[in-house]
Amino acid sequence: MADTGGTGPGRSLPSLVVLAVTAAVLLGAACWHLATLFLAVTPDNPVRSRYAHLINGHVYPEFTQGWQLFAPEPLHENVVVEARVRTDRNSEKPRAGHWVNLTTQDVAAIRHNPVPSHAHQNMLRLAWDFYQNSHSRRNAPIGVRGILFGEYVKRIALQRIEGRRGGLDGERVVAVQVRVTARPVAPPRWSDRASSASVQSARHRTLPWWSVKDQDRRGL
Amino acid sequence: MSIDHLDHLGHPSTRPATAPWASAAGGRWRQAAARPIAFACDAHARYQCALFRIGLSGLVLAFLLREWPHRRVLYGDRSPWALDLAARLVAENHAFTVLTWSAGRWWFECVYHGAILVAALLMLGWRTRATSVLFLVAVLSLQNRNPLIGDGGDNVIGVMAIYLAFTQCGAVWSVDARRARRNRRDGRVDRAGFVMWQILGVALLWVSDGFQGTAWAAVLWAFWICQGLWYAARRWSRGAWSRELLDAAATMLHNCAMLVIAAQICLIYATAGWYKIQGTRWQDGSGLHYALHLDYFSPWPGLGSLLASHMLLIVLLGYGTVVMQVAFPFLLGYRRLKTALLAVMILEHAGIAVLLGLPFLSAAMVVCDAVFLPTALLRPSRRSGSRPRR
Repeated sequence: MADTGGTGPGRSLPSLVVLAVTAAVLLGAACWHLATLFLAVTPDNPVRSRYAHLINGHVYPEFTQGWQLFAPEPLHENVVVEARVRTDRNSEKPRAGHWVNLTTQDVAAIRHNPVPSHAHQNMLRLAWDFYQNSHSRRNAPIGVRGILFGEYVKRIALQRIEGRRGGLDGERVVAVQVRVTARPVAPPRWSDRASSASVQSARHRTLPWWSVKDQDRRGL
Repeated sequence: MSIDHLDHLGHPSTRPATAPWASAAGGRWRQAAARPIAFACDAHARYQCALFRIGLSGLVLAFLLREWPHRRVLYGDRSPWALDLAARLVAENHAFTVLTWSAGRWWFECVYHGAILVAALLMLGWRTRATSVLFLVAVLSLQNRNPLIGDGGDNVIGVMAIYLAFTQCGAVWSVDARRARRNRRDGRVDRAGFVMWQILGVALLWVSDGFQGTAWAAVLWAFWICQGLWYAARRWSRGAWSRELLDAAATMLHNCAMLVIAAQICLIYATAGWYKIQGTRWQDGSGLHYALHLDYFSPWPGLGSLLASHMLLIVLLGYGTVVMQVAFPFLLGYRRLKTALLAVMILEHAGIAVLLGLPFLSAAMVVCDAVFLPTALLRPSRRSGSRPRR
């Protein structure tokens, strides 16, 4: 490849003009890109809200800036997701099964594993996060995403429970229910929080029964 | 002013400085403009870029191999995030993925194994102009097939894969560089690259109605057309001047991409650090205690508890982390401090990889840190280091 650098003084005027224009365009594009990224991570401010459409259109989804890892507060709850199913045997009265702790399965797979899989470390954990952020306290889905994320949680629960070896004994699942317990991590002994009154009982949330149709099992 | 018009003026490299329309003032302007433009046209951070390419693609390769047993549940036909759910989200947010093009398992397996192949080839530096773009397509396709399982590490990899496609990441430490060296020595002309370009053009035409929105189709076609222009300039001897210009513009693009990569890394650290400062648990020094007691992030609970039981250690490490993240962009200006800072950062990420069970996130950040290593460290001077730059 020919040497293009270091021969600056030898460049002709037309070359310089073309290159200067190119450089200006490229630098401008880079600055514009970085400015939108910056505004995407700043706290709310007037510039950001005025140009929100422009910024979001450019940054999401491919340049998503999810860098608030463990910030402003570190995660401080251990969330446990459990699920149970209602099965239907020969048109007898449907009965509800035992609660199955899905999170324990994940934690067991992560323990003593130097390279945990996303299937254990992220799938259920983030699915619940997405569900929570896309549903009202009364479990009403917000927007299309709410509906999609609800279905996602349902299918994860279904896959985990129906996938267990010999778990269901050939019975057909007609409904599935999910409940979630968030246990705060106890503050360290040496912290002021340990003695403060706001310590912190577990929060429970039980979702309504979701009916299961064959369509919900596609691919699982 | 069109390119044709400029070309008509002749080959400017041999053109005398006393062109009729270049006045004395123009000459002075030219002197002033020539230096920054020469700087902009000089490829910067080539070794850092090559290291970044090897690290990023190696990381994706390792990730894809590690998740191979889970691939169908994460991204494929057995995923709880069923293809129709993914397609509905993609229709809404216009994310780029080729995996929604067909529901067949064969297509998914092709893309997944293709991604493994492309990552390996990019790591070796084989035809990086093409493989870096294919790498971008593969990484985004998998991530956007199921965006709900990605953590910060996946986020870094996805964003950086886009930037990497705009760099000249195969200029050194690559099969490409070796081939170019040999071809130059033996006076051979490489034809395989041109054939590959034609094949990719046909492939792109074949799939061009599959894109959601026009933005990504435009980006991929732009890559293809630019490469085509470059071949055209090589092909016709009249294009000597445009060839030089194209090479210079490509180098400028590389420099801009490296600038964006560096700024993006600073933004990552700054965001992580400045938001932590606002958290009361990081303020009172107990932040790390909580992180070490999360079931999902404790592969070695004994080790975590042992560390967490030392108050002094927890507070110092917690404050140290926040200080370093906040200071990172500013300390890069101090050359001597920089290398020490990077060494500490890399050690910290190694610790996070083990303690919190986040090897891919940590490795992604180590690869990012390595972009700032000084050239002298990456390229031990052979024969007094006076080899001419290519």
